[in-house]
Amino acid sequence: MVKFYECTKPMIIDWISQEYIPHLTASFTDPQKRVSIGYLFAAFIIAIIWITVAKKQTFRRGFVLGLKKMIGLSIIWSKSSRADYKLLLINKALLILLSPFLVARLTVATAIFFYLKEIFPYGSGIFADSPIWIASVTYTVFLFLFDDFSRFAVHLGLHKIPILWAFHKTHHSAETLTPFTVFRAHPVESVIFSLRGTIVQSVAVSLFIFVFGTSIELLTIYGTSILLFAFNATGANLRHSHVPISYGKIEKFFMSPAQHQLHHSSAKQHHDKNFGVALSIWDNWAKTLHFSHGEMGLSFGVKSELYQNNHSLFSLYLRPFQEVIKYPKINSETKPREENVVFKKII
Amino acid sequence: MTKKLLAGAIALAGTALVLPACADPDIYGTFPVTVKGYSGSKTNSVAYTGQIARHVLHDSLKKLAGKGNGKPNPALKAEMMSYFAQKTPGRTIIAPTSKKKFVIKQTGVDQISKKKNLAGKTYKGNISGMPNNMTGPQLISFWIDKASSAKKGVDMANGYNYPQLISKFILGAVFYNQAVDNYLDEKMTAKKKPNNKPYKKGAYYTGKEHSWDEAFGYFGTPAHGLSLTPKQLYNIAKRKPGAEKYADKNGDGKIDLYKEYTFGPAYYAAGADKTGKTSYGKTITQAFLDGRKVIANADGKKLTKAQLAKLQGLAKTIETNWEKTIAEAVFKYAGSCYKDLAAIKSGNKKTLKKYIKHWGELKGFSLALQAGRKNLGEVGAKLNRLIGFGPVMPNQSQVNDIDSKGNYVKGSGSIDNYMGHMLKTQKLMIDAFGIKARMKDQTKGMDAMLKKLGSGSSAEND
Ligand SMILES: [Zn+2]
Ligand SMILES: [Zn+2]
Repeated sequence: MVKFYECTKPMIIDWISQEYIPHLTASFTDPQKRVSIGYLFAAFIIAIIWITVAKKQTFRRGFVLGLKKMIGLSIIWSKSSRADYKLLLINKALLILLSPFLVARLTVATAIFFYLKEIFPYGSGIFADSPIWIASVTYTVFLFLFDDFSRFAVHLGLHKIPILWAFHKTHHSAETLTPFTVFRAHPVESVIFSLRGTIVQSVAVSLFIFVFGTSIELLTIYGTSILLFAFNATGANLRHSHVPISYGKIEKFFMSPAQHQLHHSSAKQHHDKNFGVALSIWDNWAKTLHFSHGEMGLSFGVKSELYQNNHSLFSLYLRPFQEVIKYPKINSETKPREENVVFKKII
Repeated sequence: MTKKLLAGAIALAGTALVLPACADPDIYGTFPVTVKGYSGSKTNSVAYTGQIARHVLHDSLKKLAGKGNGKPNPALKAEMMSYFAQKTPGRTIIAPTSKKKFVIKQTGVDQISKKKNLAGKTYKGNISGMPNNMTGPQLISFWIDKASSAKKGVDMANGYNYPQLISKFILGAVFYNQAVDNYLDEKMTAKKKPNNKPYKKGAYYTGKEHSWDEAFGYFGTPAHGLSLTPKQLYNIAKRKPGAEKYADKNGDGKIDLYKEYTFGPAYYAAGADKTGKTSYGKTITQAFLDGRKVIANADGKKLTKAQLAKLQGLAKTIETNWEKTIAEAVFKYAGSCYKDLAAIKSGNKKTLKKYIKHWGELKGFSLALQAGRKNLGEVGAKLNRLIGFGPVMPNQSQVNDIDSKGNYVKGSGSIDNYMGHMLKTQKLMIDAFGIKARMKDQTKGMDAMLKKLGSGSSAEND
């Protein structure tokens, strides 16, 4: 018998055109995102100027060198970078599908708000009379500091906790760095990071509504926090690049691109340094700060026999699970960076 | 290579799992007659006239409840009881009625369905949110009595708005209860109302077809509801100018209450969905439609285990979303009461009437929420404790009991504390039901602030 009512429209096509593609393009157009087109352009300009000035080149030569370092074929089309792009495409889909299962920020914020009301019944609205601009400035700064600190702390955890390091290795296995290496992360790590975002934003919002008794305007430019904008517009994308811009003495306060490149270095003396993102004060405090110095000739990646074929999707997605499930004991007993020990046993 | 394929396959499998259901617009209008051995002339097996008649009885009863003149009025009481508890023929439709260009086809209840009442379908359990453990029908009768002697149905001294209390409670105790606790519950099991037999002897629809239709009727959305926006569904219930254009699906110039009008439950779903944060109405209507297709496709045969499981799954979707629409309403009116109390505290005397109305809606919906299939247990008890038996009045008094003669007994209450209760009620709705529309949210700015932060950079890491 013929069925009366059948749905024939292929849903996967709908999903790709209505969910996936818009999310993907937003990554390159939304000023809240690191690799949005304007920031990439700014990074280019900064790279070229820096090469021209620091290396005392003519502008023409600086331009050519800059292009080579930023978009030379051996960099943007290396095996490592091609893996970055695949991860970007796949992770995007996975995160869209996972997002309904992640805890909602509003739920967390409301819970915190009511908790605050419960434990500080008289604290509610204590700064309600202060000028609006003070509320806005403190909120914007607090959010930036708290966000930056939480990134530092989570990143530290990703390195120091063996199970997490297994997953974070996906990011560190990059051998060439391009701005898109920021997407080279294991989905488990992405989920942890988005939980971090949920907590930070929920705490900041509920706390400020609680003490100021009303909603507060974030200071923004192009719809994004001015501080985040400043960070992204001043070459944040160069953190994942082969342009080693260093900040000299102020690297004590601000993390330079070269410092993050050093974080990716495969040399032992550079391991577990510079966990911070915009600010290096947290690293300074935790004694994990490492200054950069000029051309360091770094080589990137995780060096071990096992990572011979470390750009395959299998290795990037599933090996961490294999490592965690099969060798939990070894993992907890071994120092995170000594992957040889762990991996030899797997093989 | 195989490893690559494996990883790709995992990613794809993940994709396939969570895809949204097909959203082709459709109408809950015509489904074939599938019952075996039927020899009559009917070609459409869909029928839910009894449910629409009850919606009309409810709307009319609510209207009557606001007609008191402040003195005992036995005639009014008898009229209200005829809409609530009797099956009197010839009852006119007091609401909804035509309004300018919004012309309603039916003017008498019997034009939709005869011999229907509300009392027979009202939740029979004890209502623990009010004193004296009355059953559903007893509580409504009690309120009808009070309403008949209150001016415009409102008791300004004790804080009761009877039209609101009666109406909101019926939305749960009749419509929600009948749908989720009866038709979508035991009647969707293998034993009861099988699909290979007519619903009752000689009927042109099967047991399952009709049970499903009746549940749909209680939701009270137009048959073409899926093609309408929440705003349009809402405007139809408000009989707003222009709404007749999209309500009148068959273009006969009249709104057919049977299939072209939005009644209570669907109206409140639309109210929440108008915020854009939820799609309760669409989800529920789609589930009804999907389920009806499953039954139609069974072609008058007994449903297989898989088909039954599918229906039960859809029934669950309908139940949870319907429950959320009621929880959203509780949330909304708790927020309204909070705001009203703040105004009353600052000396605004005009707010009292509004406050009593909002409280009636809050209380009615909170009791409606507890009239579903499952016992809400601790959540229900908490809700009843927070809201109490009556609102805290400007003179810091509150009804805390009803004596054996049906008179209210008052004690003292604190407005400050009660405002705290309203906030806690909102929180309880979020925690227990995960509601999302959150109208009149007293912690509102939060959502806007979070939106502004976006999720842009939060998942990026280095
Ligand atoms: Zn790292
Ligand atoms: Zn990095």
